[in-house]
Amino acid sequence: MNTEPVINQDEIDRLYLRLKKEAEDSGYYLNPDTDFTKALIRSLIINEGRYGYWACPCRLADGIKSEDLDIICPCDYRDADLVQYDTCY
Amino acid sequence: MAKHVPGRKGPYIMLYALSTCPWCQKTKRLLDELGVDYYYEDVDLLSGDARRDVMVDVERWNPNRSFPTIVIDDSRCIIGFQENELRNLLKV
Repeated sequence: MNTEPVINQDEIDRLYLRLKKEAEDSGYYLNPDTDFTKALIRSLIINEGRYGYWACPCRLADGIKSEDLDIICPCDYRDADLVQYDTCY
Repeated sequence: MAKHVPGRKGPYIMLYALSTCPWCQKTKRLLDELGVDYYYEDVDLLSGDARRDVMVDVERWNPNRSFPTIVIDDSRCIIGFQENELRNLLKV
């Protein structure tokens, strides 16, 4: 059985443009590898459908918002990750 | 139950991943490209006891519980998408 969620490409592209503007207005830049960034955005949309909020696609969410506040994008670890990896984890 | 991707026999490779994580997807693609035999578990698709049991294993190797976590021969752990390290370790 294929359980892969169907995510509309237009939705990903629209959210990409919105997040790009929001990031740049705050002094951040999205990863210039747009395919990679859009894969992340697709996963944010999947997690919004699963949990109701943008849990980080690279961290395991509990599914209970009060337990996941630290990993909702942009997460509490972003700036530390930028220092360590030059990118968010 | 971990999924098995058949390939060239070598070290026992267990990849703990999240289905939503692009770094995990890159790791799977690299292992596929290298043609090695490996097992993987998309931990976010598990629930209940199955998830808890797998996370006990992940935490044993990687207390930060980050993904991807790759355990090789039950003796060595690589955390994150470490392309060069994996290529060197798993080259023919």
